Amino acid sequence: MKTDITGIPERRKKRNIKKTILTIIKYIVVITGAICMVLPFFWLISSSLMTSQELMADTPRWFPEVPQWNNYVEVPKRVPILKYYKNSLITAGIATLLVLITSSLSGYAFAKIKFKGRKFVFRFVLSTMMFPVFIFLIPNYYLMKQLGWLTNYMSLIIPFAVSGYGIFLIRQFVMSIPDELLDSARIDGAGEMRIYMKIVLPILKPAMATLATLTFIGLWNSFLWPLIITSSVQDLMTLPVGVSRLSVAFSTSENQHLILAGLVYQVVPMVILFLYLQKNYIKGFVLSGFGNL
Amino acid sequence: MRKGLRKRNLVGYGFIAPALIFYAVFFGFPVVFSLLVSTRRWNMLVPFEEARFYGFRHFEYLLKNELFMRALLNTCLYAIITVFVTISLSLIFATLINKSKFSVLWRFLYFTPIVTPPVAIGTIWNYLYKPNNGVFNHILGSVGIDPVYWLTDPNTVLFAVMITAIWGGIGSSMLIFTAGIQNIPQAYYDAAKIDGAGPFRQFWNITIPMLKPTILFLTATGMIGAWQVFDLPFIMGKNAPAKSIMTVSGYVYESAFQSMRMGRASAGAFILFIVIFIVTIFILRAFRKGGMSGYED
Amino acid sequence: MKKVFLVILIVAMIFSISAMAKTHLVWSVHWTDFQVDGVKDEDGNLVTKGIQQYVDEYMALNPEIEIEIQSVPFDEYLKKILISHTAGQVSDIYGLYSLWGVQLVESGILDNVPAEVEKLVSENCVEAAYNGSMIDGKLRGIPMEIDNYALLYNKDILAESGFENPPKTWQEMAEMASKMTKRSEDGTVDRYGFAFLSGWDSAVVHPYLSLLYSLGGNMFNEDFTECTLDSPEALEALKEELVLFKNGATDPAASVYGFASGKAAMIIMAPWYETSLRISFKDEYENKVGVAPFPYLKTPMTAGYTWFLGVDRASNHKKEAWEFLKWLTFDKMENGASRLGELMALNIAAIPPMKFDIEAYPDELDDLYTSVFVNELKNTISEPNVAQGQEIKTILMREIVEAWHGQKSPEEALRIAKEEIDEILEEFYF
Repeated sequence: MKTDITGIPERRKKRNIKKTILTIIKYIVVITGAICMVLPFFWLISSSLMTSQELMADTPRWFPEVPQWNNYVEVPKRVPILKYYKNSLITAGIATLLVLITSSLSGYAFAKIKFKGRKFVFRFVLSTMMFPVFIFLIPNYYLMKQLGWLTNYMSLIIPFAVSGYGIFLIRQFVMSIPDELLDSARIDGAGEMRIYMKIVLPILKPAMATLATLTFIGLWNSFLWPLIITSSVQDLMTLPVGVSRLSVAFSTSENQHLILAGLVYQVVPMVILFLYLQKNYIKGFVLSGFGNL
Repeated sequence: MRKGLRKRNLVGYGFIAPALIFYAVFFGFPVVFSLLVSTRRWNMLVPFEEARFYGFRHFEYLLKNELFMRALLNTCLYAIITVFVTISLSLIFATLINKSKFSVLWRFLYFTPIVTPPVAIGTIWNYLYKPNNGVFNHILGSVGIDPVYWLTDPNTVLFAVMITAIWGGIGSSMLIFTAGIQNIPQAYYDAAKIDGAGPFRQFWNITIPMLKPTILFLTATGMIGAWQVFDLPFIMGKNAPAKSIMTVSGYVYESAFQSMRMGRASAGAFILFIVIFIVTIFILRAFRKGGMSGYED
Repeated sequence: MKKVFLVILIVAMIFSISAMAKTHLVWSVHWTDFQVDGVKDEDGNLVTKGIQQYVDEYMALNPEIEIEIQSVPFDEYLKKILISHTAGQVSDIYGLYSLWGVQLVESGILDNVPAEVEKLVSENCVEAAYNGSMIDGKLRGIPMEIDNYALLYNKDILAESGFENPPKTWQEMAEMASKMTKRSEDGTVDRYGFAFLSGWDSAVVHPYLSLLYSLGGNMFNEDFTECTLDSPEALEALKEELVLFKNGATDPAASVYGFASGKAAMIIMAPWYETSLRISFKDEYENKVGVAPFPYLKTPMTAGYTWFLGVDRASNHKKEAWEFLKWLTFDKMENGASRLGELMALNIAAIPPMKFDIEAYPDELDDLYTSVFVNELKNTISEPNVAQGQEIKTILMREIVEAWHGQKSPEEALRIAKEEIDEILEEFYF
């Protein structure tokens, strides 16, 4: 093998150079991408500290002249932000929990319990996702009235308790669990519920974490349905609807700085949730199988 | 053995019972109700019982209406392009980030569009798309291309919204891809390296095939979601001619809440459902032919 | 002991009976934040009253009445009414944009206006607002707000280009605008001579209507059986708009919101923009902002739109609702204005439709900005309260916008608009 005075084979040196160049390119791409991704988020935080005059400029400023921390103090003075937090946490939290439960139960059954008609029923579940959300607005509102739920949390929770997306996701996950593992438990006399709770659920942790994150974020940010329900029942008002009450009709930019501060209030819990679940996420995924979906 | 079968059926249905009950009430009733509404003329102000019967004329009207058909076309283009590009880019970024330093930081940054509210997204992207000294036109100008009127030119507005949508959709797909990638045994890659395969080869021959099930899931759910798009075109398309940016959901929404034509809106929603249904079946069939197991049993 | 107990029981009964007898009224408003809660200074003291304070005052005067204010943002207001109605949820009092009112009237949702209220309105209301609150020939509620349009111009930019006075006619305006447009090197526009209001139906249609009215034309015939956009006036009005696109004074990318940063020299605007202008111009407000009547084609005219307060027919407390509304709009305070008038003038910064209210607030309504709008009320024609008003306006908007983009000729645009609008008229007026 040809070597030079350093003793490193020439061929390997060429490979090392190639590798370094590729790594540099990789980081350039990743970092450029990251900057593009985070720019609006960064602007959100930055602009929430500006005055409404700064915000009315033709080109958005990137930094406030003087950070208006007062905006964050002003928002709770105008709207009961704590109440909104409470309502959003309760409704989105419980609904997410229900989604996790129903998705894992159903997902497991569709994947591993060979019951009659399961193919057909699963396709039915898939098809429920294909109906535009619009179709459910008025009938569900009518149902809420009939059930007497218009004035309590139920109307904000129950219509979202089951998610076809969640069932699909968990099912795909569960299918990668080796049958032998479950069959040996069955032979030992374990019932399906025991298998579900003792074997399947622990393995599903990372999938559940992902589902929890995406479901919670969707519910936390939902606007239309909570608006319809809570504008008549202001005690139930959730965060997005509450923040929208800071915007004054046709006065375009009057409260823009407050609206942005309100939006930061809205965004922070999701960031916290994501960071919290991140840790679960990586460790867990490596252990379990998202493998052959 | 037959007892075992019956028990299995019982248990199986027991597990899915909560979901089925839910669907019976919160899916069955709305769908049947909406089907009925789509055969009537109803402005939501009179009781439903008084709504006049109209047969299937709403469907006829829509399929002959230029704006609705353009909406279908726009939505179709939007769905195909955004889903394809989003999934491709998410996969590439997920792969790149997976083995990088500070991967948690990158993952967080790539995730921020998901939690950024449309107001912030709209403002920044409006700024980027400004014709006069906007960022994108500035870049185009430096390579000698004429300025583009991104959000007001009917030929570019849909495309501009798509770019924003792709940007916003990468985060969640990346989340799911990352999990999938981390489950590919390192042994496969090591073996490939020994055989002399470079990173591109490894990506093409190991990563992608192993991720086919994930790709199927994301494509199917992505399509279903993309066909129902409403927010971004609605927010960003206000200043362009309607035909170039109208989406099916936008049309349905307007029919219902501005024109107060609930019957027509419901009919439009059903047409959308049928389209999504056909498209999804098509996707699933295509994946099955591609030798992908794991969807069906 | 027994006596005490009896007294307590009686007192409790009285309280519970009076509580049961409390009439609960729900008032849906499209106002939010300080418009409802009042404007407060840094120490939390009330500086300007909001609806809540007036409602509190009424409730103090009438302890058996309880009024709940439900605030729904403007964009969601109609949607909320529609969806709530499907399940039989109604509010007692609405603050309605007149055009929404048409459908409500035709579906029998609105209660008739009591005769004495109608008399008070006809005696005191500005004509444009009175007409604007009439649907199918009858008054449907108490007018609460009237808006019209005027020309805003940047005094500095005009002076820079050698213009001392704002334009009076549209033709003048088009000329001036083309001279004030500045381009960048790459061909895009740095500063527009003029920017059209756009983005929603009224934005595009109302200025067009203003031009149409100033030519003596109209969008419909007397009984709404035909759309008259095929008239020569309709065509001329659109052609005059297109002049600004042809002479380079504006293009579809121009935005009225650029006025605040000097990117547009002249724009058409409504009364509700004042606060934003004050915020962005700050100290230079008086120096830079000029307001002039809408540039006319033949005779000075501007389009307008109204809001009125109405009561739901399905309400269980119609009498009490009208009583409250009468108090709010006609009971005079010391300065001769009504409480609604004060709210509109001081808080909402909109124009109250009653003459006595307009006279009571010279500082707010006779200032640099609003005075022009108020003066032009005499030249204001309210938009037609036609069935499916929003749908029709959206159709017209889309055709006009396509003409702006050069995608169709103005003849073609108006022809198609008339065709589609006639179809809708056939559904409702035959």
